[in-house]
Amino acid sequence: MKMFSVAHKTVFVVDHCPYMAESSRQQVECDVLTKSRAQGVIPLAPVSKSLWTCAVECSMEYCRILYDIYPKDKLVNYIVSDSEFHILNSWRREDQSTHELMSALAAVGPPNPREDPECCSILHGLVAAVESLCKITELQHERRTALMDTAERVANRGRIICLTNAKSDTHVRMLEDCIQETILDQNKLAAGSDRLMAIQQCELVLVHIYPQGEDTLVSDRPKKEISPLLTSEVHSVRAGRHLATKLNILVQQHFDLTSTTITNIPMKEEQHANTSANYDVELLHHRDAHLEFFKSGDLHMAGTSTRENGLKETVTLKWCTPRTNTIELYYCTGAYRISPTDVNSRPSSCLTNFLLNGRSVLLEQPRKSGSKVISHMLSSHGGEIFLHVLNSNRSTLEDPPSISEGCGGRVTDYRITDFGEFMRENRLTPVSESTHDPSGKLPAERAKAQLERHTRYWPMIISQTTIFNMQAVVPLANLIVKETLTEEDVLTCQKTVYNLVDMERKNDPLPISTVGSRGKGPKRDEQYRIMWNELETLVKTHAGATDRHQRVLDCIIACRSKPPEEEERKKRGRKREEREDRTEKNGNKETDDKSWQESERSVGLKGLLDKEDQESEVIKDSPDSPEPLNKKPRLTTEEVQPPERAKGPVSLLTMWTNRITAANSRKHQEFVGRASSVNNKFELYQHLKDENGMDVHENGKASR
Amino acid sequence: MPTVILMDVSLSMTRPVSLDGIEEFQRKNLAVHGLNMLFEHMASNYRLEFTALMAFSSLWELLVPFTRDYNALQEALSSLEDYDKTCVESALNGVNNLVQQEWGSACPCQLVLVTDGSLGIGKGSLRHSLQTLKHRGDDKKFPLPFPFPTKLFIMCVANAEELQMTDAMDNLEELLRLSGGDGQIFTMDGPLCMKSVQGMFGRLIDYAYSPFHAVLHCGNLSSDVQVFPRPEPVVMDEEVEPMPRTVNVDEVGTGATDELEEEPSASQMAGKSPNFCVLLHGSLKVEGMVALVQLGPEWYGMLYSQADSKKKSNLMMSLFEPGPEPLPWLGKISYLGPISEAAENPYGEDDSKSPFPLQPQVKRSYAQNVTVWIKASGLQTDVQKILRNARKLPDKTQTFYKELNRLRKAALAFGFWELLKGVADLLERECTMLPDSAHPDAAFQLSHAAQQLKLASTGDSQYAAFDHNIVPMHTDFSS
Repeated sequence: MKMFSVAHKTVFVVDHCPYMAESSRQQVECDVLTKSRAQGVIPLAPVSKSLWTCAVECSMEYCRILYDIYPKDKLVNYIVSDSEFHILNSWRREDQSTHELMSALAAVGPPNPREDPECCSILHGLVAAVESLCKITELQHERRTALMDTAERVANRGRIICLTNAKSDTHVRMLEDCIQETILDQNKLAAGSDRLMAIQQCELVLVHIYPQGEDTLVSDRPKKEISPLLTSEVHSVRAGRHLATKLNILVQQHFDLTSTTITNIPMKEEQHANTSANYDVELLHHRDAHLEFFKSGDLHMAGTSTRENGLKETVTLKWCTPRTNTIELYYCTGAYRISPTDVNSRPSSCLTNFLLNGRSVLLEQPRKSGSKVISHMLSSHGGEIFLHVLNSNRSTLEDPPSISEGCGGRVTDYRITDFGEFMRENRLTPVSESTHDPSGKLPAERAKAQLERHTRYWPMIISQTTIFNMQAVVPLANLIVKETLTEEDVLTCQKTVYNLVDMERKNDPLPISTVGSRGKGPKRDEQYRIMWNELETLVKTHAGATDRHQRVLDCIIACRSKPPEEEERKKRGRKREEREDRTEKNGNKETDDKSWQESERSVGLKGLLDKEDQESEVIKDSPDSPEPLNKKPRLTTEEVQPPERAKGPVSLLTMWTNRITAANSRKHQEFVGRASSVNNKFELYQHLKDENGMDVHENGKASR
Repeated sequence: MPTVILMDVSLSMTRPVSLDGIEEFQRKNLAVHGLNMLFEHMASNYRLEFTALMAFSSLWELLVPFTRDYNALQEALSSLEDYDKTCVESALNGVNNLVQQEWGSACPCQLVLVTDGSLGIGKGSLRHSLQTLKHRGDDKKFPLPFPFPTKLFIMCVANAEELQMTDAMDNLEELLRLSGGDGQIFTMDGPLCMKSVQGMFGRLIDYAYSPFHAVLHCGNLSSDVQVFPRPEPVVMDEEVEPMPRTVNVDEVGTGATDELEEEPSASQMAGKSPNFCVLLHGSLKVEGMVALVQLGPEWYGMLYSQADSKKKSNLMMSLFEPGPEPLPWLGKISYLGPISEAAENPYGEDDSKSPFPLQPQVKRSYAQNVTVWIKASGLQTDVQKILRNARKLPDKTQTFYKELNRLRKAALAFGFWELLKGVADLLERECTMLPDSAHPDAAFQLSHAAQQLKLASTGDSQYAAFDHNIVPMHTDFSS
């Protein structure tokens, strides 16, 4: 259906002239007496609806179905006509509800039978209807503004449904002529106005209503073209049930609807709660929900049946006891709003309440034989029920390749959990249009901006990052991506940086990945250098945002650089370190070859080293203690590493040797040199240095 | 989109092609060469596509049912036999049955008709079929247009001049028009040889079988992706938006929803360096979330992990219908903002709640207690409900007035004043029939309600206002 087809605007023109107050002569017995009370009670006389009441309730039913299925942009304008016209609502979206219309109708009340029939005419309403069709709707206005230079693509078409009691076919022709003339007049007016649009196509549906038991004075006539602008059709219908059926068929035709009957719905009996009987419920919805049936000509298979007067068809689908198998839902190809035909019947309301409470119902095509085919599902979303179409044929998506076969599929250390957290932080939530500042960015754009900020530095795999593997960095990492920082945020970031400085001073190990590097990976100060670089990279990408972001970066740069004299000392230290490095490298080769020996030894030494470690911590662990003169002591802790590396499978030989070594070590006192050695080395003649007062810490804690 | 190859194996396909006397080829050989080229292209660039091979003359035969096994298709091509005359109509019927049985009538399908342009003679010829188009009964309708969306590619092992000498070109154009107009007729440029048939199939490949590459962005993270099947252009409303919408560059934002829609696709490639798609897929799977993806202005879809029964899973993209509000229960997509801006996390600190689904501003008729009296039973039920509660006054005072007011509102809107009077009479009668043991309040309430209904039935604006409710009479029997 085109956006601006005749279905966009529907004007109801309902006759409010004195003759509409006449009885429809269809009587309703509303005093149903139970047997026990029947004695001596005179039952109330049956009531009967007037032609007006019949017209109003059927038109309301038409609107109810329309609004259920098209809550937006299929608009109704309701006009009643007597000695003048009364427009009960406008095209505005907030006026589009049955409640609004009912309220306005109550104010109009039934026709006054004593009014002068000569002054009254349906024509007043029809003229008003044409005028109303020229009025621009919100959607037309929006699209015209949006399309700018191609605004002429926005069409203006509409339908007039006139519920009246006409006098004769000639009378009908007179009404048609009058509408035709009015359209021409109004189109001239519209040409000179911004708020009006000329009518390009108008469809008149005239429903002549007459009381039961009378002969009709007006004949039915299918749609015919009165002019290129106007088509007209006439339906002559008896008031009551027939009128209701007629309008139900019309609403289906006008809005591309079709009917589905759900059969075999098990429902508890009202009287006997422990028994259940099967019920049927008829639903209306857009006909595309049965596109597959209609196209394949498979309607018979789907169980269509023609009902009542042969005018109406329904597709029958069978209720399946609820269960959830998500795989079936992947092939959902569409969801369509529904409206129950008989909205307040007990079976209907049982079904709709069941669905509104969050349950889903799978629907099956009744077939004479063969396998069961589930073709639809009923389910509600946010208080609206939708008929979902499920693909019951083979899917072209079957057997897709695994993502692990594709690009990057062999990489195993993705930061899956971190990205999950990232997604949760970047979830979306609806923002009410009224709270949105029209001069600002749309909420979705703000969400995208946030995504951009959060991904400026986001390594995808664990081995590519150090800082995101460190709990200590979390406070800063979470804050720095924010658009603006508070003073408190900056403080938190700075604290994080100080904390890292502290960790470095304490020589805390870092979670540096050793993937791809041989041996134990980069040295500790190299690790810290990598960490600081990464942190700087992260913060740099945000530093330009605000001064406060910049202050965080400044803090990092300031903290990671050392005062000049210390740099000096460090340089000297580094030379020595290099020397040692060289020897260590040689040693490494050896240890690689005899790794079992090393691990054996380290296990044996573990107890001693642990002890040493504790002692060294006692010395250095106070954050208030002054900077050590030299970074060298790190070496000590560095050497604590071996026991950790020695984890893993232990050979029988190793276990045996360990035991023997342990047993032997208990039998004699260890040499002081071996016991306090560093990397199995002990510097001799330390006292000479002590006497010179230099490099106290050169060999770790030995001198203290 | 699945493909059916419909290969003409009539005798005319065996006509030799003169090639300066060097080597002798039949037109069939050229056609097979072209198809092999297409299959090789698909095997390397489109291996998730399903293809079937059908040969036809006056009869048709399904040589290879829908498969992703391109070797099987090539093998079948190598063992084609030659048959009698060309009969396109019956072959099209065969295609129609094949596609509908396999994929139903909603799945779009491509048909590649390979022929030499001699379209049969007499009854069963395409000319005859087209001439008799309008004089057919419902049981013998021409198979085009197919019920499923079709792209028809006609590959003529002939050059355009040759086809224009007869009415062959006109008939083929009519065929394309009948199928819905989506597709193209390809002919060979220059002399009929291997090179020109390659050229022709090359043009088909460029037109219809080029892989769909896109870039998936999530802020600064991105990944090149290939999408299977390729998202087809969509025309929403040929009047307001006559230009079809096509997918260009993908962009992704993450959102948390739980629904599934149409036309999914899969993405993949090869290598060992980290890929954002794999990361996204892994996290979506672990968290059970979907990501919202924007494909163009006001065109959205979603990404999620889909696992088949064999525990293989891949990243799937489902496209929503183009528009600003594809899923009503999410509201307008452009009005979805980051949760960090919300005063408190709408998902709750422990993920215990969700801002979705959005409720519509006005409830649907089935979600509110609407009054419909089209059927007499509807009216009777409502009256009986009032009477039942009337007999249980004063216990049921609230329900009694609730039901009474519901009936009153509807009767006023429908101009059904007679009913108001009738129900007033019924209530007065109930009042007279109250047993001696009844609470004195019952009588007061009944006559009060009856009187109010009668006043409303006069239409007096003081009593007949729609929004006015009859309130219980204030009585005090406590003392």
